[in-house]
Amino acid sequence: MSMGQLLASGFAAVFNPGMFFMVCIAIVLGTIFGALPGVSATMAVALGLTFTYTMDPIPAIVFLTAIYCSSITGGSITAILFKIPGVPSSAPTTFDGYPMAQRGEAGKALGVALLASAIGGLFSAVAMFALSQPLTKAALQFGPSDLFSVTFLGLSILTCLDSEHILTCIISGLLGLLLACVGQDKMYAVQRLTFGSRNLLAGIDMIPVLIGLFAVTEVFKQTDPKKKRLSAEDGITGGRVNTKMPSLKEIWSIKWTMLRCSVVGTVVGILPGAGATIASFMCYTMETKLSKYPEKFGTGIIDGIAASEASNNAATGGAMVPLLSLGIPGGNAAAVMMSALTLKGVQLGPLLLTNQPEYLSATFMSMIVTNILMVIVAMAIAKVFAQILAIPYSYLGPIILMLALIGTYGDQMSATSVQIMVLAGVLGLIVRACHLNSAAIVLGLVLGNMCEQNFSRGYLMSKGSILTMFNPMLHPIAFVLIIVCIVMLVSPIVMPLIKKARAGKQ
Amino acid sequence: MFELIINILLFIFLGFTFFTHVLEAAVPASVTRNPYALQPDVWPKTIIILLEICLIINIVKIIRKNKGNPEFSISAFVRSIPGFLKSRLFLGIVIMVVASLILETVGFIVTALFVLFCYGMLLGEKNPVRLAIASVCITLVLYIIFSGLLSVNLPRGTIGFLRNFALFLESVVAGVKGIFG
Repeated sequence: MSMGQLLASGFAAVFNPGMFFMVCIAIVLGTIFGALPGVSATMAVALGLTFTYTMDPIPAIVFLTAIYCSSITGGSITAILFKIPGVPSSAPTTFDGYPMAQRGEAGKALGVALLASAIGGLFSAVAMFALSQPLTKAALQFGPSDLFSVTFLGLSILTCLDSEHILTCIISGLLGLLLACVGQDKMYAVQRLTFGSRNLLAGIDMIPVLIGLFAVTEVFKQTDPKKKRLSAEDGITGGRVNTKMPSLKEIWSIKWTMLRCSVVGTVVGILPGAGATIASFMCYTMETKLSKYPEKFGTGIIDGIAASEASNNAATGGAMVPLLSLGIPGGNAAAVMMSALTLKGVQLGPLLLTNQPEYLSATFMSMIVTNILMVIVAMAIAKVFAQILAIPYSYLGPIILMLALIGTYGDQMSATSVQIMVLAGVLGLIVRACHLNSAAIVLGLVLGNMCEQNFSRGYLMSKGSILTMFNPMLHPIAFVLIIVCIVMLVSPIVMPLIKKARAGKQ
Repeated sequence: MFELIINILLFIFLGFTFFTHVLEAAVPASVTRNPYALQPDVWPKTIIILLEICLIINIVKIIRKNKGNPEFSISAFVRSIPGFLKSRLFLGIVIMVVASLILETVGFIVTALFVLFCYGMLLGEKNPVRLAIASVCITLVLYIIFSGLLSVNLPRGTIGFLRNFALFLESVVAGVKGIFG
């Protein structure tokens, strides 16, 4: 089938009136699911499965793709307005989005988030369509040592999260990595750091810690009568988001950020095991390092939001690449989609695109339509969500706590998760008092398992030699990435010393 | 002083963990015999060692920074404890700890009523009757949305009548859903 025929079949699949209506429904549902704390993209796709039982396979994948893409975008709404990441991949969006909302720039933050999401999503859709097979082959060349280097690259943000407290950021990141070790070791299933608790055998889940550190701590802080509470002047007036959108000049200023993060997000999305969360943290790191004003990251700048949102949406397209080309899901949500297609008797695997290329074209067209329409839908939903902020804080605070509790409980159906969330909320207070860094803890927790597993596998495959793991002749990608990581980790520590020495000489 | 105490406690706790809890089960013989396998304790132990080094440096930094500060003393810290125990922040933490502990026993509905009312009062709501009515309404809305419509399994509780009430509510929502197809 030629490219033109493929496009025509995709167009026909999405633009028949019934299917187009279903895509619109999927966008609304996906954005709402994504915005609800604790309803992850995977859960959103799983909830969407019920709608697809009576559909044929192609409309089903079109519908689920629309839910998947819009749920990742929906996560940014609560991340910006309430500091509750709707989906884990929106966690870096809180770093700059929430301070902007507090400054009265909620509309601008949401505008950038939605635009960056759309650009990331559109880019990855085109990449998926054009490069699906070669990209998958390239990604499959990534061995454990390359994957370890990719993950380690995400960790190298630690030294620049807070330039005034580098040491405490490193301590926080290491604490996160240690928390990720709790439970059964993923390679050999050996019990570690559980202190005899059966509830910790499965490890510490990311969602309770994330919600506890970000949302619960924030509500705890509001009990201080001297503290200025979120109110109408915080960018949300009379229950309406301050809709002052970013100017064209501002959007133009982040064009390279969005493009870079779209590329990196797509590639990370293709990698098996990595996904939108790792993509967003990694791109946030990368942009902090590449920025001319790294110290402003985390204080509320549009670059940070664009980096996080462009990359996590780009990862959605990336995750579809191995699913459609090889029948390997790139992430959890893709795995749910895979099970939906398998239920319908679709034989996933390398022959799918050769025998039935309309799956690729329908997914592509669904992603294109979703990423364009969701900008309008998500802004409307953001306004509805912002109505909540017009409520007095004595009502809103407990509602946020209950949403946090539902999100945490709903993820694992366990009260232990809720207890971990409360502990993480208290930990968040201690973290602030001790100048530690919540974002660094989350970063360590998110990347810890993948980092350890790939290091362990790489070590085994290199017959116990770290030098072989990063040998430039055998693993050039790992070698280059690890050098970049070391430079990125060390430069914020060494550069001020060099500057100091130069100033001393002068 | 609080920062220093936390750093010292963390240092001691990590030291204790290093020697006692990194590995809590026997490593399979196939792993221990394999010279190329990274043993399961190596990664966490490396992290703990790095953490201990960083904590020592941080402790020294904190002591140096606060040299000559009259507030930087154990007695000043002890004096601040009663104030914290009477603070709203502490009460807020207690409310959430209690909620997390009673959740599975009394179920979501009672826990939500408890958190919404108690935390609302703590955050300065002047009208308890209005808050009580709002708490009931918000609880019902949340339960219907998440449990009824989104099929999130919220705890019904283990106490008979509370569980029955939750089931009754779910059956009502299911009935309404059935009517609308």
